[in-house]
Amino acid sequence: MLTAETIIQSLASGLLMGLLYGLIAVGLALIFGLMDVVNFAHGEFLMISMYATFFLFAFFAIDPLLSAPLVAAALFVFGAVVYLLIVRFAVRAKANAGMVQIFSTFGLAIVMRGLAQFFFTPDYRSVTNSWLGGKTVSVGGIFLPEPQLVGALVSIAAFVALYFFINRTDFGRALEATREDAGAVALVGIDKNRVFAVGWGLGAALVGLSGAIMAIFFYVYPDVGASFALIAYVTVALGGFGSVFGAFAGGIIVGLVEAVTALVLPPSLKSVGIYAVYLLVVFIRPRGLFGSM
Amino acid sequence: MTISRREVLLGATATAALLPIAARAQTSEVVIGVIYPLSGASAQIGVDAQKAFETAAEIINKKHDFDLPLARGEGLPGLGGAKVRLVFADHQADPQKGRAEAERLITQEKVCAIVGTYQSAVAVTVSQICERYQIPFLSADNSSPSLHRRGLKFYFRASPHDEMFSKAMFDFFDDMKKKGTKIETLSLFHEDTIFGTDSGNAQSKLAAERGYKILTDIKYRANSPSLSAEVQQLKAANANVLMPSSYTTDGILLVKTMAELGYKPNAIVAQDAGFSEKALYDAVGDKLEGVISRGSFSLDLAAKRPMVGKINDMYKAKSGKDLNDYSSRQFMGLIVMADAINRAKSTDGDKIRQALVATDMPGEVTIMPWKRVKFDEMGQNNDADPVLLQYVGGKFVTIYPPQAAVAQAIWPMK
Repeated sequence: MLTAETIIQSLASGLLMGLLYGLIAVGLALIFGLMDVVNFAHGEFLMISMYATFFLFAFFAIDPLLSAPLVAAALFVFGAVVYLLIVRFAVRAKANAGMVQIFSTFGLAIVMRGLAQFFFTPDYRSVTNSWLGGKTVSVGGIFLPEPQLVGALVSIAAFVALYFFINRTDFGRALEATREDAGAVALVGIDKNRVFAVGWGLGAALVGLSGAIMAIFFYVYPDVGASFALIAYVTVALGGFGSVFGAFAGGIIVGLVEAVTALVLPPSLKSVGIYAVYLLVVFIRPRGLFGSM
Repeated sequence: MTISRREVLLGATATAALLPIAARAQTSEVVIGVIYPLSGASAQIGVDAQKAFETAAEIINKKHDFDLPLARGEGLPGLGGAKVRLVFADHQADPQKGRAEAERLITQEKVCAIVGTYQSAVAVTVSQICERYQIPFLSADNSSPSLHRRGLKFYFRASPHDEMFSKAMFDFFDDMKKKGTKIETLSLFHEDTIFGTDSGNAQSKLAAERGYKILTDIKYRANSPSLSAEVQQLKAANANVLMPSSYTTDGILLVKTMAELGYKPNAIVAQDAGFSEKALYDAVGDKLEGVISRGSFSLDLAAKRPMVGKINDMYKAKSGKDLNDYSSRQFMGLIVMADAINRAKSTDGDKIRQALVATDMPGEVTIMPWKRVKFDEMGQNNDADPVLLQYVGGKFVTIYPPQAAVAQAIWPMK
């Protein structure tokens, strides 16, 4: 049943989903690039932003499209606080530094899941009747769900903005410099902690943005972050650890490969394609497609 | 030998510490282990199950005027009025955690029987541990047919399994065909753990036997982040009936993705699970008018048996929800187990097993549409008749079998 229509439909769905995967993953890449710390609570950041969107909708009837900037701002604060209260101390560890970093964010993930379960209950929740929810654009027999379409546009816009922020602003340059050599920037009067805190805030805000969009078409529950976080880690590893553009490209590749694999193989094997491509990258270019280490 | 004041004090403290244990041993209680996912992706099921079991325990332990075993007295008369105490354990939907928790319940909590588990994959390991310790295990709500076919002596299931459910669906198709409805092709859509796989296999087998053509048979990974590729194939096949076997998360995503990709099936006949969950209808109920799901329970029964309505009220006061397919089976699971322990007049595993084997409970004294509860040599109750329910106007109405039906099926769905 491989008609032109199903192929185009698959590629379109894959591309839309891929752009969203990229947006989810970029925060992870940004934080890793900045200070070599993998945020294992990344999926939980996504989970709380989805809950935030859901509650803003349920209690104040704010549509996810409007609440997206609010949620992103809230997550910015949250990310910065997580850096200042937890990660700042974790990276100071002298012995077993790697393990301490892993456990501090991994522990945070478990705590966040537990709290979500306790306070929000494990029930599955969905934003019903949002402006975009369930709406679909149909172009010549190809269906493009509006939430994913808007998500893809937001993702592209976020990446463009991020590009200019990092390359064209003083703070972006400070971010790059701190990442190059955190010791040297202190000599020119840049507060390392401030830069890192903003980096974490920015990374979390990007997840917040994707969480708000995701909440339009995906159900929310305390463990929702897990399956997306896994994809985010693969995306970042594929695109190159620390590379913001790599996360963008990695997301698109993951989305497309997933869609194409499901087209030619039974759908239960669709993740096989992603990991096959990843293995290929590991063999040929272990630092990832756009990695610069 | 001189006894110092210190030693007297020590002795007194020790005696005081031991006293409550002795006292506890006299006011005998029967400890039953209940093992469910209380955290993780399906935690809500476990939380609701807890309320169902607590409702059943309350009815057993206090006087209630219901035509239900053990309701009229207090506690278990066969054990001198001993009260039932439940110990809940969390298996997190993980078969290995289930194994460890079952072992802990038996060796440390000293339970005399275990009831569980929602996920069939976990029931496999829990029942193996029970078999090893010779403790009876009752599947309250697992529906995989392979469970009772492993030749375990301490395994029992009062409720129907998926083949019985699937058989009811195909009986219903045959019936509809006789009335002139066109049902020739089917699309199967099932998740990849034991529940979905067993259900898919049973449906394929029945379809072949009865001459229905399966156009697509899609097995997908549970908790998928995206189902668009899968839905596209379902859409391309466009069979007369779509038959999903999915848990809540994938069920919601399936229905949303179908709407997004413009696929409107002629009819959906679901293998329960997610399609019995309130969360799914809260999320996408507007797109599911006319969906048919199988069930082992229907609140319609309250019209014929008033106690069903009263027990539902008790459960609703605790959980805020109506009894559904799962909570009703969980409730009955404890009643059946407690009834056997009462007749065994003992908390010895083997004696309870013998009492379970001898169980013969008429359907009228249950809250289910079953003929009766009587276990075959494999521990399966073959008289647990399933029902088919259709979601119409925000609630489920029984449409099959004819003796339980309160309405005609709406076909095709809206």
